[in-house]
Amino acid sequence: MTQVEKKESAGAGPVLPTPGKPRSRVRYAVPAIVTLFLALLPLARPLIGQPYNYVLQLGIAGLMWVAMASSWNLIGGFTGYISLGHNVFFGIGGYTAGMLLIYVGLSPFVTAPLAGLVAVAFGFLVGLVTLRTRGPSFIISTIALLLMTGLVFDNWDLVGGSNGLSLPLPPFPVESVKIPFYYAMLIIAIGSVYLGYRVAHSKFGLALRAIAQDETKAEVAGIDTRRIKIAAFSLSAFFVGAAGAIWGYSLSYLRPTIFFIIGVAAQMVLMVIIGGRGTVAGPAVGAVLLVTLNEVAVSQFGSSELNIVVTGVILLVVLLFFPLGVVGTLRDRGHLPGFLDWD
Amino acid sequence: MALLELQDVTSGYGYGPDILNGISLSVESGRAYCIIGPNGAGKSTLLKTVAGLLRPRRGQILLDGEPIGGRRPDLVLDSGICYVPQDRSLFPEMSVRENLVMGAFLEPDRGVVSERMGRVFEMFPVLKDRVNQRAGTMSGGEQQMLALGRALMIEPRLLMIDEPSLGLAPQVAEQIFDIIRKLRELEMTLLLVEQNVLKGLACTNWAFLLDLGELRLEAASDEILDDPRIRELYLGRQRAGSQPGAGIGDDT
Amino acid sequence: MSHLIQVIILGLLLGGVYALMASGLTLMFGVMRIVNLAHGAFIIAACYVAFFLFRDLGWDPFVSLAVTMPLFFLLGMGVYRALFPRIEGSPRFGEMTVLLTFALALIVEGLLSYVFTGTFRSTDPSYATDAVRIGDFFIPTAQFYSSITSVVLLVALWAFLYFTRTGYAVRATMQNRTAAQIVGVNVRRVSTLSFGIGMALAGASGSLISFLFPFFPARHWQWIAILLALIVLGGLGSLKGAVVGALLLAVAAGVVSDRFGPTWSPMTFFGALFLILLIRPQGLFGHKARVG
Repeated sequence: MTQVEKKESAGAGPVLPTPGKPRSRVRYAVPAIVTLFLALLPLARPLIGQPYNYVLQLGIAGLMWVAMASSWNLIGGFTGYISLGHNVFFGIGGYTAGMLLIYVGLSPFVTAPLAGLVAVAFGFLVGLVTLRTRGPSFIISTIALLLMTGLVFDNWDLVGGSNGLSLPLPPFPVESVKIPFYYAMLIIAIGSVYLGYRVAHSKFGLALRAIAQDETKAEVAGIDTRRIKIAAFSLSAFFVGAAGAIWGYSLSYLRPTIFFIIGVAAQMVLMVIIGGRGTVAGPAVGAVLLVTLNEVAVSQFGSSELNIVVTGVILLVVLLFFPLGVVGTLRDRGHLPGFLDWD
Repeated sequence: MALLELQDVTSGYGYGPDILNGISLSVESGRAYCIIGPNGAGKSTLLKTVAGLLRPRRGQILLDGEPIGGRRPDLVLDSGICYVPQDRSLFPEMSVRENLVMGAFLEPDRGVVSERMGRVFEMFPVLKDRVNQRAGTMSGGEQQMLALGRALMIEPRLLMIDEPSLGLAPQVAEQIFDIIRKLRELEMTLLLVEQNVLKGLACTNWAFLLDLGELRLEAASDEILDDPRIRELYLGRQRAGSQPGAGIGDDT
Repeated sequence: MSHLIQVIILGLLLGGVYALMASGLTLMFGVMRIVNLAHGAFIIAACYVAFFLFRDLGWDPFVSLAVTMPLFFLLGMGVYRALFPRIEGSPRFGEMTVLLTFALALIVEGLLSYVFTGTFRSTDPSYATDAVRIGDFFIPTAQFYSSITSVVLLVALWAFLYFTRTGYAVRATMQNRTAAQIVGVNVRRVSTLSFGIGMALAGASGSLISFLFPFFPARHWQWIAILLALIVLGGLGSLKGAVVGALLLAVAAGVVSDRFGPTWSPMTFFGALFLILLIRPQGLFGHKARVG
C-alpha cells in the first residue's frame, strides 16, 4: 500500500493529491446518488408534505453556501490567499441581475451567468491591483473592498441606496415558486464544486498549490504567479456572483445589508475551514454542516447575537486544533471515506 | 571532557525530512574546527541546531556535559555559545555601535561592555570609522566584520560562524580569514562552516567532513586533503576544466 | 482658504488619535508579524469600558485611561499566550494570525452585542462640545485633548523603544527576529510584552474616541478597515509610517468629508489603500521584503 505523505499539520495548508489511492467506482457512486437525490427532491412533494417549502428553502440556502464555499476555496484554499470580503461578488451578482430584471425585464434565471461574468470582470480589475502584493496586504484589501462597495451601494440612488430595491415577483404560482430557485441553485452548486474538482486536477491547480506552499519558489520555478493568482481570483467570483443573482431574486429584494456585510464573508470562510481548506469536498461538507448547525441552533435557541460568538468560537477551535478541517483531518489520519476523496 | 558534544543528533526544518541523520561529534576547548562537505550535507543545520534555532528531533547536545538540546537561542547564548549566521543577521536600522551594544545584550555591566567594544574596534578598525553608520547600508565585508565583532561582545566559549566568506570579494574574504586566524591564535574555540575549503582548512586545526547529515571523516586540517576518501568524494564531482584544488566541494 | 486650513487643523488633530490607534496594530505586526483583525473590536470594547465608567461612576474618559490601559495590557498578554505560541512555527503563520484574529473579532463583537445591544453610544463629557477660538480658527476641545494625549502616549512609546533596554529588544526583534534571538533576546517574552502594549494602546484609544465618535459593536469593522488601510499606506511594520499615514489620511479624509459629506470620509482611506497598492505596494516606509 502506498504511504500517504504526511501533511503540514500545524496550519490549514493546501492538501496535495493522494498518490496511489485506487480511483474506484464507489467514490463516484455516492456523489452521483446524492446529486440524483437532490435533483429528485422537489418532485417528492407528497412524501414531504407540509414542510415542503421549508425543506426547499433549506435546500436553496444550503446549495447556495456549497457553491460559495467551493468558489472561495479556489483562492482561499488552493492558492492560500485569504479573501475576507468575497461576498462583494455576491452583491455585485445580485444587483446586476436585479437591475437587469427591473430595467430590461430579463429574468435572473437567464442572466445569472451574466451576473457571474460581471463579478468575474470586477474581480479581474480588482485583482490587477491587489494581487501585486502578498499575504497581509491582499487580505486587508479584500476587507476594504467589501466595505467600500457596501458604502457605495448604500449611497447610490440608482440601486436604491440603503433602502434597497424591490424586485418584481417571479412569474410562478405561489405553491411551487421555490422549485425553479432550487434547481437554479443546484446547477450553480454542482458547477462550483465541479469547477473546484477540475481545477484541483489540472496544471493550473498545481501552480496554485505551488504558490500556496511557497510563492517565491514558485516564481523562481518560472510560474507567472501574478497572472495565475488573478485568474484564480477572477474565477472564484463567477459562481458567487451567479448565486447572488438567484438569491436576490428569491428574496424579491435587494439591499446592501443582505449582501455586503462581513457576516456573509465570515460564514464562507468558516465553512471552508471547517470542511477542509484546499480539498475539493471540504467546502461542500463544511457548508452542509454549518447550515444544519445553524438551523438547529436557530430552532432551539432563536436567533441572537450569540450566533456570532459561536461562529467565532467554532472558527477559533477548528483553527487551533483541527486546522485541516473535517476532510483534511480525516485524510491525514487515513480514515477518509472514498466518497469524500475527490482530490 | 569535550566542550561540546553531539550524540546521535537528528534534526530538520519544520515538518520536512531529516537533514542531520544521527550525527555524533565532539568539540574540544581551545581548538578551531572547520566543517566541510557538499551542499545539503547539513553543515548550516548543525550550527543552527546547536544554536537553538532548530530543535533536535532525536539525540543529545551536551555543553560541558550538560544537555542543551532544544533550549531557546537566548539561553544557548547565555551558556556561552555564540552563532554568526550565514546572512549575518544584523539589525539593519541600527548603527554599528547599537549593533555591538545589542551583541552584549546579556551583559549587565556597562563598563565591561564599553571595554569590549574598545577591543572590537581594535580588531576591526573599519567598524570604528563607521561607528554611527546604519548596518543595512554597509558593504558585505563590513557587515561580516560587524557580525563577528558583535559575536565577540560577549566573549563566547564557543564561536560558530556560518560561511564567513559568502558573497565577499577575495581580498575582503582574506581579511576575514586573517581575523579568524587571529582568533585561533587567541585559542578561542571555533566551529566554522566554510565553502572555500582550502581557506577554511588553512585557518583551523581540525576538520569535520559531513555528508548526508552524517559525520564521514574527522582529521587534522592539514592532513584531511591527503585522505583518499576526500579525493573520491570531491574530485569525482568536479566539473571538467576547473582548476584543481580551488573550490573543492563547490558544486553550488 | 482659511476654511481649508480649519479643515486641515481638524484633520491633524484627528490624525493624532488615528496614529495612536494604528500604532498598536503596527507594533504587533512589526514584532510578531501578526495582522490583528480584532484590534478594532478591542478598541470598541474599551469604549464601552469608558462609557460605563462615565455613566455609572462619573469618571471622565481621560481618567478611564488609568483603567483601560492596564486592563487591556493584561488582557493582551493573556490573549497572546493563549493563542499564538502554539502556531508560532507554522508555515502558514501569516494566514493563521489573520484567521485567528478574525475569529477573535467575531467573538468580541458578538459578546459586546449580546451584553450591550446595538444601541449607538458615546460618552458625553462637558468639553465634548466646546471649542477654543484661536484667531480665525476653532479648535474643538475634545479633539484637542485627545490629540494631545495621543501625542503624549506616542512619545512615551517612542521613549520606551529608544531609551530602554527592553525597548531596544523590541526594536531588535522587529528588525530581525533571528538576530535578536542570537544576541540573547527572549523573543517569546518580547512578543508577549509587545502584544500587551499594543492592546494597551487599543485600550487608550478606546477611552479617547468614546466621546469623539458614537460607537456600537459592529462599528469595529469600519475602524479596522481604516486602520489597516492606514498602515498599508505607511508601510506594514513601520511606526513612523503609521504616524505619517495617519496624519496624511486624516487630513485627506477631512477634506473629503468637508466637500462631499461625512459618509464618504472612509472612502478616502480605502481609495488611498488601492492607490498605494497600485503604485508602491510596500507603502511609504515599508521594505519590499516586508510585503508578505
